[in-house]
Amino acid sequence: MHAAVFVPTPPLLVPEVAGGSADRDDDLRTACREAVATLASADRLVVVGSAPRSRVYEGRWDPRPFGVRGPEVTALPYALGIGEWLTRGFGLPTTFYGVADEADDAALLGAGRVGLLVCGDGSARRDEKAPGYSDPRAAAFDEQAQIALASGDPDRLLALDPALGDELMATGVRPWHVLGLAAGHRRRAEVTYAHAPYGVAYLVGTWH
Amino acid sequence: MIFRGKQLPDGSLIMAIVNRTPDSFFDRGRTFGLQAALDRVDEVVAQGAHIVDIGGVKAAPGEPVPVEEEARRVVEVVEAARTRHPDVVLSVDTFEPAVADAACRAGADLVNDAWGAPHPETAQVAASYGAGLVCTHAGGAAPRTRPHRVQYDDVVAHVVDTLTGLAEDAVSAGVLRDSVLIDPGHDFGKNSRHSLAVTARTDALVATGWPVLMALSRKDFVGEVLDLPPDDRLEGTLAATAICAWQGARVFRCHDVVATARVLALVDAVAGRRDLAVGKRALA
Repeated sequence: MHAAVFVPTPPLLVPEVAGGSADRDDDLRTACREAVATLASADRLVVVGSAPRSRVYEGRWDPRPFGVRGPEVTALPYALGIGEWLTRGFGLPTTFYGVADEADDAALLGAGRVGLLVCGDGSARRDEKAPGYSDPRAAAFDEQAQIALASGDPDRLLALDPALGDELMATGVRPWHVLGLAAGHRRRAEVTYAHAPYGVAYLVGTWH
Repeated sequence: MIFRGKQLPDGSLIMAIVNRTPDSFFDRGRTFGLQAALDRVDEVVAQGAHIVDIGGVKAAPGEPVPVEEEARRVVEVVEAARTRHPDVVLSVDTFEPAVADAACRAGADLVNDAWGAPHPETAQVAASYGAGLVCTHAGGAAPRTRPHRVQYDDVVAHVVDTLTGLAEDAVSAGVLRDSVLIDPGHDFGKNSRHSLAVTARTDALVATGWPVLMALSRKDFVGEVLDLPPDDRLEGTLAATAICAWQGARVFRCHDVVATARVLALVDAVAGRRDLAVGKRALA
């Protein structure tokens, strides 16, 4: 693994989905774009995100399941679709790998200067207005995730509990575990965005 | 449409919301007290509501309300309202069969199962009293949960398929065919665009032959079109009401009875379902 970037996957990240309120999330969108730009020097990309099954997917971001008009395309699972949307225009060969259960195979990345884009979110139960209402464990869970992602330490990342993540509606744990497995050793890491403006924890950053 | 022997007239109909809750999103506890709830029932009946929908638990997530407490809240209102308004259709808004049972025993005529039949035996409860049933599309959402990144290949087809299935199930459970309503469940298991798509294709729901109930009042899909809070969503609600009524939806669950009645009167007049209240202009 040459470098990795992690981003959240709210559909509203895509302006055509967010409609008239798109500019309210420009800070998040900018953080994602700036982080993803660091992958442009890779030879190829692997995008990892939660999906119905653990397998390679093909296709594109498709806004239509969210009620937005769009052309007929083969739809990626939305988390991978967000990754496709963010890296569109890079011109790099890209593999989309869905993770439905515990990751145990970092070999999917293969050799060479691979840029890994990890698509997933922290908990969705941060407060009473959150999609999953409030759960008293959510803030501490997200803090642990942020600390692990900022540490660059694969072991800390792999220590995040996917079962607790499921209970807290956090889609990022298993994709982050892929990052932990793929990193191989401690990396220089940075978290550039960590907020939960809608009760879902969004974490953006890089591992080099 | 008939509910426990109470035949409703032709034309568009109004189901007025009475929340015996401390925390519903619009009224915020205004009718939580028993007397306040009963005063509200009197008021909406006087304003022309055909159906009064009494609920004891808010739809949004929040403090759990034990079934016994929910039943107590709604039964007190149903019992008193039954005595005061023997001819008005009384509905109970619940997803709990035990609450539906208690409310029907107290005189409710209709069960508004607003979370997509999480307990299929609710239909049997309604049937056992000869009461009606509202079958609602909630996209598989668990009761009192918020939709999160919900997706549909074709939301209108999903709603139509789900509701025709639930309506037939209700009839199989013993509910009279003329006592079943279908509700596409705006905002329930849907984002705002999904709710707008369903609004636009009300005709597809009407074409199923089941009478369509629309619960639009001051909901988030109106608020997200306009970027306005619930207090400022009346005009948007009324616009959606007119669009749905024009396509043939029959019952409108609402907070604002007078305004809704005026909109429906206009739509029904244009559609030829209602005569003029006054016919003098250029006719003297």
